[in-house]
Amino acid sequence: MAEKKQIQAKSKRTLRACCDVYEDDGNIILRLEMPGVTKDKLDIKIDGNELTIHGARQEITETGNILMKEIYEGDFYQKYVIDDTIDRSKINASLEKGLLTVTLGIKESEKPRKINVVAK
Amino acid sequence: MAIIRWKKNDMYDPWSELSRLQTEINDLFDIDRFPTTSGLFDRPVSPAIDVIENPDNYKVISELPGIELKDIDVSITSNVLTIKGEKKEDKEEKKGKYYRKESLSGGFQRTLSLPTSVESEKVQAELKNGILTITLPKKEEAKPKQITVNIMEEGR
Repeated sequence: MAEKKQIQAKSKRTLRACCDVYEDDGNIILRLEMPGVTKDKLDIKIDGNELTIHGARQEITETGNILMKEIYEGDFYQKYVIDDTIDRSKINASLEKGLLTVTLGIKESEKPRKINVVAK
Repeated sequence: MAIIRWKKNDMYDPWSELSRLQTEINDLFDIDRFPTTSGLFDRPVSPAIDVIENPDNYKVISELPGIELKDIDVSITSNVLTIKGEKKEDKEEKKGKYYRKESLSGGFQRTLSLPTSVESEKVQAELKNGILTITLPKKEEAKPKQITVNIMEEGR
């Protein structure tokens, strides 16, 4: 909360990016639409069980006469609470064409297991 | 005179008050439940666009996250600019189990009518980090010109 207020004080506002969450191959995948965010301006943190994603955007520095303005200005900032089923050491992120993919690996111990029944 | 939709920010909209209240309440509880932007299809099924007029060109900036270059089609006829494209859904992700789906996919199109005609051969478009920037140079006759008028003093 405090961090969000800090960002809001620095730039004008924070936006929440559009996010898809799905499970695939034993991973939870977050896909966020973050147009205009570059790799070095992206900050992903895990603090305890909080996953914070902050993508700073470059402000459009065009000095001309604005005829239309529909793109929101501001940084992308959102927080997710992740539970103990996520393996903290198996978190990866990639950014491509303004699309951020965060892969959260599920712990091996939490995955469904097949128990072999031995007939005697 | 070409027609460009003018969005007046201070125009009274009773729903904006409600959404502002919702944002304020969400901020109070630190809830980020509703996206501030609904992504690609923010306005009635179309990506967001900025149009900026400079003395010698127009700049059209559009947010197109996750779209391949080959899926975008930018065309210009006299002074009408059309951005067409399609956001394809990954086939591989369909097998997964969805918990939340906020982004949309499908075709989109935006047509803009520019106030003056542009040099259609010199139009440049660039896609970088999900942002499409189109630079449209104005035609020579449409550029603002400064004419110097010589003033002669009389009676010498």
